[in-house]
Amino acid sequence: MIKILLFADLQEKVGKPELELKLEQITVEELKSELQKIYPLINLESVMTAVNEEYAMADDAIKSGDTVAFIPPVSGG
Amino acid sequence: MVDRYSRQMLFKPIGEDGQLKILNKHVLILGCGALGSANAENLARAGVGKLTLIDRDYVELSNLQRQQLYTEKDVHEQVPKAIAAKKRLLEINREVNIDAYVLDATPISLVPLLNDIDIVIDATDNFDTRLMMNDLLQKYQIPWIFGSCVGSTGMSYTILPKETPCLGCLLDRAPMSGATCDSVGIISPAVQMVVAHQTTEALKLLVEDKDSLRTNLVTFDLWNNYYHTMNVERAKKENCPTCGENPSFPHFSGEVSTKSEVLCGRNTVQIRTGRKVNLQELANRLQYVAPININDFLLSLEYESYRLVFFHDGRTLIHGTNSIEKAKTIYYQLAG
Ligand SMILES: [Zn+2]
Repeated sequence: MIKILLFADLQEKVGKPELELKLEQITVEELKSELQKIYPLINLESVMTAVNEEYAMADDAIKSGDTVAFIPPVSGG
Repeated sequence: MVDRYSRQMLFKPIGEDGQLKILNKHVLILGCGALGSANAENLARAGVGKLTLIDRDYVELSNLQRQQLYTEKDVHEQVPKAIAAKKRLLEINREVNIDAYVLDATPISLVPLLNDIDIVIDATDNFDTRLMMNDLLQKYQIPWIFGSCVGSTGMSYTILPKETPCLGCLLDRAPMSGATCDSVGIISPAVQMVVAHQTTEALKLLVEDKDSLRTNLVTFDLWNNYYHTMNVERAKKENCPTCGENPSFPHFSGEVSTKSEVLCGRNTVQIRTGRKVNLQELANRLQYVAPININDFLLSLEYESYRLVFFHDGRTLIHGTNSIEKAKTIYYQLAG
């Protein structure tokens, strides 16, 4: 099980703040494209990804038990 | 000094030594909107030696909900934000030395203002400007504190040149402003929360307490009750064009040609020519087109369903459209 935290407008578009996916292992990039398929409305292209509160890169592996956060940069000020 | 700053000096990590340091430091705040106002007020009250304020805009009614330095009078008189901010800050603490600049932030306009700047606070509202700052401040080795907010959310991160990953390292792709301020709006506590992080980091830097700096990126949503931190040590990229071994500073190309941009959430286009404008001359020319409002800083007029505001430095804001083409048409119709 991989836990996914959705922030800002992602949360709104998916309709909930958290998701759980039954997966054993997947890379960050693969997870993004999986989610994109399930939720075509969301845009994960320029979001930052944290795995267990640590910055993650596209080809980093995510394992069952990990918590992934997708953080869309906001620009206002 | 003792009375005025006594409560801050009682706070052990600052103390008397720290206060003396604060009194001798110079902070540049880029942007005098919501983040800029609140950071500037905090630092002026804290007794920072000198503040440089930069903003290209003037005060509007819709700013008052969250931009804490401004008043209805500023709206009525269309005072540029940097000027209105300086006036208010001096009422709060006249011991602070304040330089206010009404200008658009470009490498050419910023470089001369970076002399003796100890830190920069990001109070801009777009990533184009932030990535330009990211290059500029890496090049000039000035620490800065990123902050941004929208809706009930916000984020902040402290960047030390040569030490931490830079902003570009964290953002694989430059995010477009897109859906943010147009549709989502903002509540003032989101501003205050970002500012709490930015001012605190600024104070740590000012008293030279580097060990206490927060090294992670903070994201929060006050309405939906989350607070998330991300450790970013791994994000530093050796081949980063900004903070890597052979930087090319891609966002730092210094040309100032005519540039147009849609201002997010404002139904406004800005056109920038880079040529200084004599506002009185322009007023004389346009007086038969429409009633003209002019003060020391800007000239404004209503034209068809649009409102145009001309600044000395060659910028014009065209309110009432999001179309660059339409804006250019109107601009050239009037300014020639
Ligand atoms: Zn970098």
